[in-house]
Amino acid sequence: MIANAWIIPLFPLVSFLLLLAGRKTFSERSAAWVGSLTACFALAGSVWVLLEQVGGSSYRAGLEWLSFGETNIRFGVEVDQLNALMLLVVSLVSFLVQVYSRRYMKGDERFPLFYAYLGLFTFSMLGLVISPNLLQMYIFWELVGVCSFLLIGFWYFKPEAKRAAKKAFIMTRIGDIGLFIAVILLFIHTGSFDWAQIFAVLEAGEIPPEVLTWITLLIFLGAVGKSGQFPLHTWLPDAMEGPTPVSALIHAATMVAAGVYLVARAFPLFEAAPIAMDVVAWTGAFTAMFAAAIALVQNDIKRVLAYSTVSQLGYMMLALGSVGYAAGVFHLMTHAFFKALLFLAAGAVILAFHHQQDIRRMGGLWNSHRRIGWFFLIGCLAISGIPPFAGFFSKEEILMAAYADGRIGVFLIGVVTAFLTAFYMFRLFFLVFWGESRRERQAVADPGMMRPIAVLAVLSVLAGFVQFPGDSFSQWLTGGAESAATGAGAVWIPLLSILVSLAGMALAWTMYAAKTVDPDLVSRRIPWAYRLLERKFYVDEAYNQVLIRPYRGLGLFLVGFDRYIVQGLVRIIAAVPRRIGVWARALQNGQFQTYTLVSVIGLVLLIIGLTAGRLFG
Amino acid sequence: MMEQLQQALPIGLVFSPLIGVIVLLCIPRDKAGWLKGVGILATLPPSVLALLLYFQFDARAGGVQFEQRLPWFQIQLPQIPPWEVAFHFGVDGLSLPLAVMAALVATLAACASVYIQKRLKGYFLLFLLLEVGMLGVFLARNMFLFFLFFEVTLVTLFFLIGIWGSIYREKAANRFLLYNGLGSAFLLLAMIGLFVLFQSLDYSRMQEMAHDSRIQAMLAQEPVNNIVRGIFLCTVVAFAIKLPMFPFHTWMLRVHAEAPPAVVMIHSGVLLKMGAYGLIRFGVELFPQQMQAFAGVLALLGLINILYGAALAFVQNELRRLLAYASVSHMGIILFGIAALNVSGLTGAVFQAVSHGFISALLFFFIGSLYERTGTTDIRQLGGMARPAPVLTGIFLAGGLALLGLPGMSGFISEFLAFLGLFHEEPGLAAAGVLGLVLAAAYTLRAVLKAGFGPVAEQIKGMADTRWPETAPMMVLLSCIILIGVWPDVLGEPMKVTIQTIASRIGG
Repeated sequence: MIANAWIIPLFPLVSFLLLLAGRKTFSERSAAWVGSLTACFALAGSVWVLLEQVGGSSYRAGLEWLSFGETNIRFGVEVDQLNALMLLVVSLVSFLVQVYSRRYMKGDERFPLFYAYLGLFTFSMLGLVISPNLLQMYIFWELVGVCSFLLIGFWYFKPEAKRAAKKAFIMTRIGDIGLFIAVILLFIHTGSFDWAQIFAVLEAGEIPPEVLTWITLLIFLGAVGKSGQFPLHTWLPDAMEGPTPVSALIHAATMVAAGVYLVARAFPLFEAAPIAMDVVAWTGAFTAMFAAAIALVQNDIKRVLAYSTVSQLGYMMLALGSVGYAAGVFHLMTHAFFKALLFLAAGAVILAFHHQQDIRRMGGLWNSHRRIGWFFLIGCLAISGIPPFAGFFSKEEILMAAYADGRIGVFLIGVVTAFLTAFYMFRLFFLVFWGESRRERQAVADPGMMRPIAVLAVLSVLAGFVQFPGDSFSQWLTGGAESAATGAGAVWIPLLSILVSLAGMALAWTMYAAKTVDPDLVSRRIPWAYRLLERKFYVDEAYNQVLIRPYRGLGLFLVGFDRYIVQGLVRIIAAVPRRIGVWARALQNGQFQTYTLVSVIGLVLLIIGLTAGRLFG
Repeated sequence: MMEQLQQALPIGLVFSPLIGVIVLLCIPRDKAGWLKGVGILATLPPSVLALLLYFQFDARAGGVQFEQRLPWFQIQLPQIPPWEVAFHFGVDGLSLPLAVMAALVATLAACASVYIQKRLKGYFLLFLLLEVGMLGVFLARNMFLFFLFFEVTLVTLFFLIGIWGSIYREKAANRFLLYNGLGSAFLLLAMIGLFVLFQSLDYSRMQEMAHDSRIQAMLAQEPVNNIVRGIFLCTVVAFAIKLPMFPFHTWMLRVHAEAPPAVVMIHSGVLLKMGAYGLIRFGVELFPQQMQAFAGVLALLGLINILYGAALAFVQNELRRLLAYASVSHMGIILFGIAALNVSGLTGAVFQAVSHGFISALLFFFIGSLYERTGTTDIRQLGGMARPAPVLTGIFLAGGLALLGLPGMSGFISEFLAFLGLFHEEPGLAAAGVLGLVLAAAYTLRAVLKAGFGPVAEQIKGMADTRWPETAPMMVLLSCIILIGVWPDVLGEPMKVTIQTIASRIGG
């Protein structure tokens, strides 16, 4: 199977083409079947490939795609440990989300199209993770971006969705131009787009260090855009305008993790560029805390989760920047499971409250929807890093790596963020499930929705054990290269992380469940701080004032410039034939300038016409 | 026999629209259905012949293929051998892709001409003559012929704009003729100059001489080198107006806004590319040294085109003007590719010429069907089009994504290659130009989302979606765009050897 890995992405592509062509003829039922079934095939293939990969085989192949001059660019497939893992994560979450969507999207007038877009996305994402070369990866990188755009704007008639879709595309594209330049620079300095060849040139030390620093920083810029890192993070919370299954699949589990994946893929380059490592670690750390702080005061259930995603992606970057390659990838995997779980459960909550998303108007769901409550609780415990849930193991690895790498500031930020994470997640949990019910609810117990959630819940509990006891996961992922150095960290780090998480939970409990502390305390005492968080540090406003308005202004200025200055310049040129025309008028009368030209040309045509006869004669 | 027929392919291709002209002349002017049918059918032979040429072309061999000379006339000149002018046609890797694109776009533009209401007979006659002109431009192997065909496109387009355009058509046509007439004057000067220098206007002969080291040494001496530089600048200006290059672009705004959409498909899709073709064919091939010295300026002008066009496109509300400025921006990428003067840059420039041909043809086909239904192309009056017309909106969205250079579509390949080329030579300018990718996304999405998404606007309530006679040609264009994007070698393979030869001659 591993030699046929290229087939895996084609299943969802077939689904896309079928559903796009038959978007009018497919019923909801058949469309959902087509989507889920193809995703299921992809999943089966991925599992198979992963098993073979764990058995020790790797694979790469390709065929010629574009050649110019001496250069031949190939398109192909590569399966090593990282690819195999990503294949599984992507196809699994995609499959579960497609099963879930049948109920969630029920009654939507463009139901088959929704599944078509999900198919296109799954195809692009799978293509992205099996790319053996950077150019191919860039191509799929952009394609997942456009799928994200299409799905955020799926409810095209909503003005907010329209704005969010545009913003997502443009913000990520700003990051993409960094990657674009990096791809070109790498090619210029290594003569190849192929990862294997690029690393070979790197080993040989043929890339000048300052160029390498530039290249890695530019690659990271791409990752910053895609993974919603500061300062290009603002699109991700807005992307919550899309349907919730989309948020789970694209904006939590898979696409936004592509930035982390990119840095992991290019990891040897980063390791050779210490400045870039610093930037990655600090950007990740800053984003983790920054987004967690904003999440503290958000009131839209999906936005809280979105900022939490930004924050967790920051964690992964922090790990990679601290040479915690395995830790970062590990967290990518566990996060995919528990964040997809949280989003899908949140979707159920939203349905239960008749499409209400404001958590201030929710409450008391625990009594009526106990099952959703348990699943959501598992997600909250996992993300807060409580053992034995998956998030604990990966988060603990990250903190270990950060500590071992010696950037104490980064480590401390990681610990503080762990506290904030536990607090905002349980604030969310208590507001939604505790207290008295504040609104009429409807029953949501569709097995089609609950089963995918249950699978993710099981994974959120168990996924951590691939790395415990022992460190078999990182051994496998790095091919045994990563020694026990990170594993041998102090015992106090996991204890500390559990402790701060429990503290966060306790605080949330006192404020939102027991209500012994007034939740509005902060907003009353230091209103400016609350306001700053609520307005998300005014980043959007700043962009608007500093970039968008001046650019529009420039455009409007240039309209005038183009009309009066540029055309005016040409009027001067135009005056020359008019001058001639004036002279000529002394000899002849009538309109001269334009018609002279026409008549000359007419004469030429006449000559052709007369002489062309010889051609046929 | 077979061989002779094959040899006659280019000349047959160039003059094949004339069959339609003859048939059209026999049809009474009031038979609208017949005229339209014949007009569209008449563009099929060139398309078929062009595809035949494409499949018969030996990509590995390169060089000029299917060359044919039919003697025409000769002029006795003092002191030098008589000047022979021949019907001399042929294709190489540079002209083949453009000719195929031109023929296909012409057929689809003919399909889009169903929206034309008045004087159909005259319209299709001129349309077919225009097609002869543009095919001739690409397939001619001698500069005199090139010039003649170049003028044919100019005159026919002048009438097509002036008679069938919208309200300010006459002004647009005059402006068009003024600028392009000026361009022709420069081209004429350049042609005379080249004839004086090389005593021939035959491409192969001129190239041979231009790359002969003895002649190069001779031309590098004072004061001849100043004359050569003058001729070079004339060539550049002539084609810069056509492309158009900033600041010569204002004429084409009016053409885009006033000419009927079907004509703009040809104009923006094919005719602008004659500027790119000319710059490579005459500028790069005949003036290697001058071009190298000029490359920095050219790249800078390219950068101005990219950013200036993008900034202006961002604030336009009229879709046609928006696309006109978008074209300015995209032509900047061609300039980038040419300025790189290496294999990937030049390949990128030709890719961009072909790709933009298809993309802008698609978008102006869309404009045609949009205008037919709503009577407006102002995005402020549109909105929520996806509800009444999902297919039409989907096509606009796809065209927009192609325009902003989405991978998997043709625009990405060309942009990537052009930037790859220029990063080798001028990394600073290239890096600034990459900004254009973000700006392209900004103006394209603004237009697509304003027109297609959001609540349904008053103006378009009850608007009908496209029917298959409109959908099918647009799908053909979209397929071409996707084909090149997914499998770029389909376009890259035939031009490979030729571009390599050009680049190796200038040592790039």
